[in-house]
Amino acid sequence: MMRTQLALLQRELWEHRSVFVVPVVVAVITLLTSWTGQVTIGEIEHLDMGIVGASNMPENVRAAALSFTMVGLSVSFIIAMWILTIFYALDALYAERKDRSILFWRSIPVTDFETVLSKLLTALLVIPLVTFVVIVATQLLVLLSLTVQIDFRGGSPLELIWSAAPFLDTWAATIVLLITLPLWLSPFIGWFLFVSAFTNRSPLLIAAMPIVLLPMFEKLFFDSAIMAEAFFVRSIKFPLFTGVDNMALLMQETDDLAALAEAELSVFGLLDLGSFLASPQLWLGIVVCGLFSAAAIYVRRYRDES
Amino acid sequence: MTSLVSARNVSKTFGNLRAVDDVSFDIEKGRIMGLIGPNGAGKTTLLKAVLGLTDCEGSLSVLGLDPFRQRRELMQNICFIADVAVLPRWIKIHQLLDFMDSVHPNFSRERAEDLLKKTDIQRQSKVRELSKGMVTQLHLSIITAIDAKLLVLDEPTIGLDIIFRKEFYGNLLNDYFDEERTIIITTHQVEEIENLLTDVMFINHGKIVLDATMDAIPDTYVELLASGENAAKASQFNPIYEREVFGKKVLTFEGVDRTSLAGLGEIRTPDVADLFVAKVKGEAA
Repeated sequence: MMRTQLALLQRELWEHRSVFVVPVVVAVITLLTSWTGQVTIGEIEHLDMGIVGASNMPENVRAAALSFTMVGLSVSFIIAMWILTIFYALDALYAERKDRSILFWRSIPVTDFETVLSKLLTALLVIPLVTFVVIVATQLLVLLSLTVQIDFRGGSPLELIWSAAPFLDTWAATIVLLITLPLWLSPFIGWFLFVSAFTNRSPLLIAAMPIVLLPMFEKLFFDSAIMAEAFFVRSIKFPLFTGVDNMALLMQETDDLAALAEAELSVFGLLDLGSFLASPQLWLGIVVCGLFSAAAIYVRRYRDES
Repeated sequence: MTSLVSARNVSKTFGNLRAVDDVSFDIEKGRIMGLIGPNGAGKTTLLKAVLGLTDCEGSLSVLGLDPFRQRRELMQNICFIADVAVLPRWIKIHQLLDFMDSVHPNFSRERAEDLLKKTDIQRQSKVRELSKGMVTQLHLSIITAIDAKLLVLDEPTIGLDIIFRKEFYGNLLNDYFDEERTIIITTHQVEEIENLLTDVMFINHGKIVLDATMDAIPDTYVELLASGENAAKASQFNPIYEREVFGKKVLTFEGVDRTSLAGLGEIRTPDVADLFVAKVKGEAA
């Protein structure tokens, strides 16, 4: 069972190379932007002032600054990951029917349940883990190039970066965020998988239609907005950030870092894992995801592929 | 000991269409069964039921299993080539071997590697880079490396040139087939497989028109080439089908003793293709 599941996950990585390619492309763009930025800064000698400034910061403020640099680097990865997940889920059970290879996949001793499970696990676990590895690599490369710059200008990279950056705290927060976000959005993932199992054309269009049209019809005929709210709240209000104004957090000015650092806040400490896990909406969402996945298994098993 | 495949009153309906209509048959171990029928006769539907890809009415048992409900167990001992183009185009050959090795308990990687050595197929190639003929070679090598009791081939050589078709059937007999294994095969190119079949089954409008061993065909069926008066005389023996070739009549008889036709013309055993036409057209008449 385990060996089969691992082989199926491996198959997903072979077939959907975008799982690697997308985060790596984001990484390359991030690195290029960061390096050209550093080079320019280096030229106008702001870095020297930066080094002086950083050297004079209290240690906890320096840690907070590095932490937010690292978090800032991962934002574009997280956005890219969600887009990737949408396209992956829409393609997962559609591509094998389009190229008729489903006849081959069904000729081997693997159940429809195992196959759909491997696709769900790819969306919920494999994509976040791959993204995490690439984020960490990118952060390290950015910090490494900073190290070279600082060292070149006579600063102490060990003191300014490597002993100051709260790596474990930031990475723990990142992995929790990467795993919980797809779980929170899992009803959408389930729906996308189901669409990719039944539609014969344009999965993206078919999947988007009810999300857009149902709230409109509801407004038109019942003058209510239950569905609009459900979809909207699901997309925006993420209970992992309860009690933190996450938008404001992203907009932090350097001055406010001092305030955050004063309070000895860790990024991981900002995440409210308790209220996330206690949120009935999370579990309701997971149930909805399960129902859609079961429907996808049913469709794959019972429809006639000819 | 029950049959390898046993069907009793199997039917499959799509809306108003009875694609398979109350069919019963048995297939024993070590046979090569040709399933022959016109387009839309229900061949593929019947094969899908045997492979557990579709549910059906009646009772159907394959290797003692219910194919639809025990598909996973069944697929460990059964393999099929649905058509040449179904291998995933993005997969590399070595990935395909790795995958089969991990998921299929009866797959022998060594055997597959040995078989592939005889071909020009490279480990690093993707399926999409191979010609249609090579994809078929690859698929057959994979299938042959599975220690399976039943192999189902649904139009396996469609779109291939004559050299690959001959090679395909040659390899099928030499590398795959033995008395422990059974093959069910459908094709439109009946002439090419006629002499490798041990059994033949005709299906038309969802019903079985003929189910016989190849050895039994000469005992039951006879074809007479006659002209003029002789042809008229022979007509009294109720031929199931008549056709004209070069101004002469060809009459096909079922269950008529060859001695009673002696002297009326040239007597021979109909080949499978002619017999098929006779049975299907004769029924319609």
